[in-house]
Amino acid sequence: MNNFAIDPHLYGLPDIEELKAFRIWDTHYHGFLTGTEPIKQHQEMLFYVKRMGLERIISVDIGGTLSDPLDPKPHDAAQLDILNNDPDWISGIIPIDPGFPDESLAKMKKWIAKGPCVGIKYVGGNKLGVTCDADQNDKIIRYAAELGAVIYIHTWIKVGGEPRWPGGGNLDGESTPMDVATLAKRFPDVPLICGHAGGDWELAARAIRPYENVLFEFSGADPHSGSVDYAVDIVGVDRIVWGGHGPSRSFSTEMAKVLDASLSQKERMKVFGENYRKIAKPIFASKGINITV
Amino acid sequence: MKKVNRRSFFSTTLKATAAASLPLSFSTNLPEDTRSKPNLFAGKPGVIDTNVNLFDWPFRKLKYGETDALLAKLSKHRVEKAWAGSFEALFHKDINGVNERLAKECKQKGKGMLLPFGTVNLAWPDWEEDLRRCDEVYKMPGVRIYPIYQTFDPSHPDFEKLVAQVEKRKMILQIVGDMDDSRNHHPIVLTRGADMNSLIDIIKKYPKVKIQMLYWTHKITGNLLERFIKETNVVFDTSRIEGSGAVGRLIEGNPWNGKKGIPLAAERVLFGSHAPYFPVEASFLKLMESPLTAEQANGILQGNANNFMNSSL
Repeated sequence: MNNFAIDPHLYGLPDIEELKAFRIWDTHYHGFLTGTEPIKQHQEMLFYVKRMGLERIISVDIGGTLSDPLDPKPHDAAQLDILNNDPDWISGIIPIDPGFPDESLAKMKKWIAKGPCVGIKYVGGNKLGVTCDADQNDKIIRYAAELGAVIYIHTWIKVGGEPRWPGGGNLDGESTPMDVATLAKRFPDVPLICGHAGGDWELAARAIRPYENVLFEFSGADPHSGSVDYAVDIVGVDRIVWGGHGPSRSFSTEMAKVLDASLSQKERMKVFGENYRKIAKPIFASKGINITV
Repeated sequence: MKKVNRRSFFSTTLKATAAASLPLSFSTNLPEDTRSKPNLFAGKPGVIDTNVNLFDWPFRKLKYGETDALLAKLSKHRVEKAWAGSFEALFHKDINGVNERLAKECKQKGKGMLLPFGTVNLAWPDWEEDLRRCDEVYKMPGVRIYPIYQTFDPSHPDFEKLVAQVEKRKMILQIVGDMDDSRNHHPIVLTRGADMNSLIDIIKKYPKVKIQMLYWTHKITGNLLERFIKETNVVFDTSRIEGSGAVGRLIEGNPWNGKKGIPLAAERVLFGSHAPYFPVEASFLKLMESPLTAEQANGILQGNANNFMNSSL
């Protein structure tokens, strides 16, 4: 059954076996993201990962930190051990910095080509203020495509500026879904994940709609009833992927977005993991990990 | 006002529980149709959702925005009573019209589930008459205020008067910290800040006032949260308690970020979904994600709200 304090079925919710049956992949796991002790926090997070029945977690914080993604950090070795020891359910992608493409390529070679990681992440802002649509990204995208690496791009449309406009509050180098669309035009055969649904999913879904190589990921923002329904209408259920964003967001918040949507079991399974597995299967296979999509 | 520790809070609320005769039988001055409604889930724990809003969200058509659709959705999740505010409260100037429509909607379409929580806006004239009507004419158990939209906060010169009158009328005051993430507001909307620091000193003067914070986690953090926990009886909804296992960690005093070692008694946590804006599933799942005891979970789902409604602190 489960060890929840409430009976999920009494309240119209899936129990633990039903959660497991969704085959949930947390493609935006922030368990290592902390300014203090990343390994300790990760170990603490695993309690909730297991409690909510997740099948796999994919850390987006492997190697360095979000603010210094290209600088080796003391916890890198422990992260590497974790990825090597638990490849059946823990994976990682590495933050890169498009302001430093050559250094980013070197990190990709170390952690993806010669290491256990399966993709790259564009983080929310960078030192030189380079967004994902800039030309200097092309060599990064080409190498990622060569490796079959997953490409995740943090995006947000923060209101700000004077006068205020959507995107006017973004950090330097923080990409928008419109930037992803520009990049997608140049690489129509390379899957790109537009992260956080742009923070403003109504505008973001329209921005990436024409580019079928762009997937849409909802983590890291408040749960809005109807948001996944809307995205399914605009881009289709085959282009939506799921992330947990814990510990700063609860799995509850992120799961609720999908459970709120008027989707079939099969469609929910696509969002919770199948769509991501489709694009990630080749790189997992290259590392000797055969996943069932 | 004396400090509130876990033991004294228990004592107060347990007395209230004894008077409240679970399940759900509100003893406050509610409209007849809500007062006499039988328990829909006799023998099973129903839910009191302390945070829903009716009518149109100004910026989007909500999936469960129609009252009938919202009630059906809440019923599916075993919500038995819902404390309903009105999205109209954010921008309308005719506050009495807002409250009148809310009361009418709850009475005509609420099927005994909806308890209307009207509003007052201290920034508009004659708010005391609005409060009187909420209490005496519309028989509302409380009022809900939205300071960042209604352009006042606890530093407003009339705020203490509001608290005093709410206490005198034995009503509940719900204070909304936020409605949504300010990063994706419509660009033409620039909401105000709301400093909750001065609220504590006001509350201390009115020890029997019943105040609940809704979607509060951006406005009450760190040292301020510690003061609310230690120095007041304020209760909190679940809608925006965010983070892995965050409800349980808040109760333990072990948040991922922020000050540790300041536990919030589970009895001060009330289920609030913020539906139809948020999916109602989110707050339920939080009670699964956190390793709570059955007693804690049932209290959050129903008992704590029942006690709060019926208590005289």
